[in-house]
Amino acid sequence: MGAFRCLGASGQLGYGIPVPALEAGIAREPHVIGADLGSSDPGPHALGVGRDARGPDLVRADLELVLGAGRRTGSPVVLGSAGVAGGTPHLEAVADLVRDLARTHGWPLRLALIDAEVRPQWVLDELAAGRVRPLGHAPELTAHDVHVSERIVAQMGVEPFLAALDAGADVVLAGRACDTAVFAAAPILAGADPAASYHMAKIVECASQCADPGGRDAILGTVVDDGFIVESMAADRRCLPLGVAAHALYEEADPFTFHEPSGHVDTTHSRYEQVSDRATRVTGSRWVPAATPTLKLEGAAREGYRTFSIGGVRDPILLACLEDVTEQVRARVAAVTAETFDPASYRLRFLRYGQGAVLGAAETAAPAGYEAAVLIDVVADEQSTARAICASARQYLLHAFYPGIRATAGNLAFPFSPTEFDAGETYRFSVHHLVEIADPGAPFDVVVEDVGP
Amino acid sequence: MTSPAPRRLVEVASVIRSKNAGPFTVTLDVMFDHADDLRHVVATGVLSPAALAPRFAVEAEALRVVVFAPANAVKITMPRRCGSGSAQDTDVYGTQQHVPLFDIEVPPP
Repeated sequence: MGAFRCLGASGQLGYGIPVPALEAGIAREPHVIGADLGSSDPGPHALGVGRDARGPDLVRADLELVLGAGRRTGSPVVLGSAGVAGGTPHLEAVADLVRDLARTHGWPLRLALIDAEVRPQWVLDELAAGRVRPLGHAPELTAHDVHVSERIVAQMGVEPFLAALDAGADVVLAGRACDTAVFAAAPILAGADPAASYHMAKIVECASQCADPGGRDAILGTVVDDGFIVESMAADRRCLPLGVAAHALYEEADPFTFHEPSGHVDTTHSRYEQVSDRATRVTGSRWVPAATPTLKLEGAAREGYRTFSIGGVRDPILLACLEDVTEQVRARVAAVTAETFDPASYRLRFLRYGQGAVLGAAETAAPAGYEAAVLIDVVADEQSTARAICASARQYLLHAFYPGIRATAGNLAFPFSPTEFDAGETYRFSVHHLVEIADPGAPFDVVVEDVGP
Repeated sequence: MTSPAPRRLVEVASVIRSKNAGPFTVTLDVMFDHADDLRHVVATGVLSPAALAPRFAVEAEALRVVVFAPANAVKITMPRRCGSGSAQDTDVYGTQQHVPLFDIEVPPP
């Protein structure tokens, strides 16, 4: 097998794609074009609520560019973690965009869809059988966690992608997927070295993040023999050995090992060498098949409904006692609303930006600034409760009295009206666990349809 | 070049950053331009779990510290205070938890 070229079209789709680098990548005649469509980085909201809160406009525009690139190069396009969270409604929404683009442009496409949602009963059965364990610092999974999850997805590895590509798909659109699987499947199917394919994929999935300077532009990963070469497609970004090696640190607890459903890649003895003024070759990575394959499960459960308000504080006398004042407001709100709302039905917090909101208990710096913002955040069992409590807290904070006060007309500078905003449902990650499974491709059906004119 | 006074880590390191590694874990990386700087800082013990724990308001047992020589880096990993995006979270991506490392005093070589 000669060199196998994989083009990572951009960082996660839906934020806009730098076109010059994509064009440079197209000119390199890739064998496959891939893009990651999702992540758990932005939190559990997309998974819990069943949609991508960003809206479709930029997702559609980015898809149009990537699918168009595939049409021009004649190479398959592989897309993973549709709609950020990769559940069934997310996959269906992005599939509709693909169908619409194919119709609009007159592109005859074989589209393979791979759903990643799993049935709660299956998870309960696996849990009862002792085949589920926490991933990282997640707590032990309980049946209750499964019951309250809005949906649960399993993160697929290369196996379903291999089947989809083998079925002649022009476009593979998957629900929740390992980012590496999106880019490793095509070279593995072509017979490329698995360690090189997976390690290449690990870097290419983040586009030009490993480059100097780092960025979201397209990147080319070329698997050659038992190694691979990475090169950013942006003219002003270079892939140097230090940056490529350092990518193993990004978002990982262990820089020497990264896990796939069917095994792991050991980078302990990987070598990074510069092969041109802008490209780096990596060799020496090892693929270790797993004795027992595992799939990562992700689930989101609703914690409640949120309403928030934000106001600026500029008065220095208030700033000096702001923490005490917010605590007094908390007590006042509880007292005046107790007949209407059970205090256990809502959580009220005041985040004082400029006074330790970000680091919390780890903050050692004394508040020192001429201005702060107070975020009044309420999460409650009902949206109406959150709205009422937030409004009450806002009003009592607006007119709170404090020692030494001069500004007796009001304490908060609101940047907009209304002053409270319903943020809707808020979720927590209820499932972040590994399930042992003999066949890691088994839960994922590949459904093929022909779309276009 | 040596200096008789200790320097703050932020002056010695080229990268000090934090990010989630999954929704329940935060990982911090400290990177140096030169392998000599990495070796020196590691040898001083200022990045040991026992030295770091008070800065992050966690127990030393919760901290894992790994040296990654190919990138002249030290990686520090610990549990997040709560799941990413949960109701009490203050940093969904975990990107602003690195500052407690800035003022660590590094004794001169």
